[in-house]
Amino acid sequence: MTPVFDILKLLLTAHLWQATLTWAVLLLLPALGGVISERSGVVNIAMEGMMLIAAFFGVTADIFWHNVWLATGVAMLAGALLASVHAVVSIRFRADQIVSGIAINIFAAGLTVFLIGRFYGVQDVGHVSQAQLLPNVDFPLLDKIPFLGQVVFQQNVMVYVALVILVLTHVVLFRTRLGLRIRAVGEQPQAADTAGINVYLIRYGAVITSGLLCGIAGAFLAIGVSNTFTPNMTDGRGYIALAAMIFGKWTPFGAFIACLIFGLGQAIYDNNSIIHISPYFLSMLPYLLTLVVLAGLVGRATPPANDGVPYVPGSE
Amino acid sequence: MARPRTPRLPPAIRRLRGLGMPLGSVLLAFAIGGAILAVTGDNPLTAYGALVCGGFGIGCTFGENPALQISNTIVFFIPLVTTGVAVALPFRAGLFNIGAEGQLLAGSIACATIGIKLGSLPTPILLPLVLLGGMVAGALWAGVAGVLKATVGAHEVVTTIMMNYVAQWFLRYLIVGGPLELRPGTSKSFPIGHGAELATLLPASNSMIIFGLPASVYRVHAGLLIALVAAAVFAFLLWRTSLGYEIRAVGQSQKATRYAGVSVPRTVIVTMLIAGAFSGLAGAVQIAGVDHNLTDKYFSDTTGFDAIAVALLGLGSAVGIVLAALLFGALHSGGSVMQADAGISSNLVLVLQALILFSIAANFIGHIADVVPGLRKREAPPPNAPPAAGSLAEAAAPPAELA
Repeated sequence: MTPVFDILKLLLTAHLWQATLTWAVLLLLPALGGVISERSGVVNIAMEGMMLIAAFFGVTADIFWHNVWLATGVAMLAGALLASVHAVVSIRFRADQIVSGIAINIFAAGLTVFLIGRFYGVQDVGHVSQAQLLPNVDFPLLDKIPFLGQVVFQQNVMVYVALVILVLTHVVLFRTRLGLRIRAVGEQPQAADTAGINVYLIRYGAVITSGLLCGIAGAFLAIGVSNTFTPNMTDGRGYIALAAMIFGKWTPFGAFIACLIFGLGQAIYDNNSIIHISPYFLSMLPYLLTLVVLAGLVGRATPPANDGVPYVPGSE
Repeated sequence: MARPRTPRLPPAIRRLRGLGMPLGSVLLAFAIGGAILAVTGDNPLTAYGALVCGGFGIGCTFGENPALQISNTIVFFIPLVTTGVAVALPFRAGLFNIGAEGQLLAGSIACATIGIKLGSLPTPILLPLVLLGGMVAGALWAGVAGVLKATVGAHEVVTTIMMNYVAQWFLRYLIVGGPLELRPGTSKSFPIGHGAELATLLPASNSMIIFGLPASVYRVHAGLLIALVAAAVFAFLLWRTSLGYEIRAVGQSQKATRYAGVSVPRTVIVTMLIAGAFSGLAGAVQIAGVDHNLTDKYFSDTTGFDAIAVALLGLGSAVGIVLAALLFGALHSGGSVMQADAGISSNLVLVLQALILFSIAANFIGHIADVVPGLRKREAPPPNAPPAAGSLAEAAAPPAELA
């Protein structure tokens, strides 16, 4: 009985839910990137690598230039550059997008550690000082609301940014002409092409946007949540984001709900000294839940019809 | 549009032409890797020289023992062959098994658990038992993805990725504060019983000197034979059995296969089970032949991902897989020498591996051949294109497609 009781007690603390939202946002950004990319028809399992490379260049830029916003920009650029490799290989060269995604992830894991050796000589990147981290921002007045204030309005600046991006993504995808085009290109590229939509342009844009979002996530991870870069510091988060995207059935808010669930798991994991169960089962949870969703126990998870299919003009 | 007639070349030459893509991809990757080295201030020739020394024992300048380097390469080579087969077989059925890593972990966990719990049994009973246990565990791990694919159409790429992480966290549970941990804080399991150990090919003797070093430093083990047999079994299964025919048929056209009276869901499940058994065997052999216990180095093991590169570079054939595994085994072994001798991070090997994958996936060589006059190939798509290329499209189709 005690573990259940311990968890219940933990669930009543605002601190836990504050951490839940932070971790959720870290997953949300790459998950939204995945939603945008896959809605346009390009499979993206490379969020892990894009986040990792962004985290590395974000930290490096912050250490060299002592400007966290510039560093975030560099991180986004790094994510976008790696994404454009995936885009060119997938769209122009019509490569297998899964192989390309794996290659991106391996490339990022290898290049970051290789560059640590080049840039820093030793296996240690060094730390970013507190003043050069992405700041926490407390909303005046709102942060005084009991419980909710601490959970929502005493957060890192990137949490607010991510929530705005969440709403934007939803609105753009489902309420604008551009969103209709993105979805058309992912479902029926031939029809979209006939209607005068530039299939390649939309897909390039979507994949590079996913890189930008992963870039923000990488910056948030390395110079927000943490203050340094360590090899493989994304630790599978890009893949959990992939799971969240599927869990949320390729919708922004669906993905957000999945991220909250997975974030809660991470927050409880961090407090595992309070509860007395092996934390490793909690870490397994996102993957097991996604398998349950994929098994169709919670409704079907159907990707966009032409997700992963390179578009060849004039075909069929 | 009239197709230009290409003169028919003798079969031997045509076969060599097929090698252009993999060899070209490797050369291209090394060229780009060399450019990265040059830009970041290293001499590519020094780096690659150290790689060749570490991988094949040729041209060593820091007194490395060539025999030891080759032995190390073979130790890396062994699991790459077996997992390479585990990726290549599903490719033939149009399935993309990214889960070789998780299946390998499942196999090593099963092998270690049996080897520890029944550690007092003699070799003739225990060794077959741990290897079989590893195969069964790997098969079950992959079987989950196979069943989900065959019944509800869940894409095997996603399910196998999830199963990878489940295996990884389960391993952490077992050896970090869990039931298999040797002592609290050690992050490694009890050793398996001696009866579960796979013999090294050379006697584990400190007094016998072979190529200038005590025989015990060479870690080449009997798993080498198992890996080569696995590659042979793979080729036999694929080309000499009716199951292999069905697997290839499913990869070519599910519709036609169904009309021919073959059950596609059954073939999908069986293919994944066999693939998982190969990966599980690789994991079990690694425990029985090299490590003799589960350690935290398995948390960051990447053999199952290297296997994807091995299968693609090997063009899905048994001989190709053996050659590609030899290359990647040499790269792994060479990486540590490069780091020690040339001071260049062994992670350069990962960069090279990624570049090879890009090059194969995008068929850069084919595109280069198209623009360079005189290199133009015949019109047909290369026979080596992985059939998995269209698998995602099939996954998106309604599950009725599989019924």
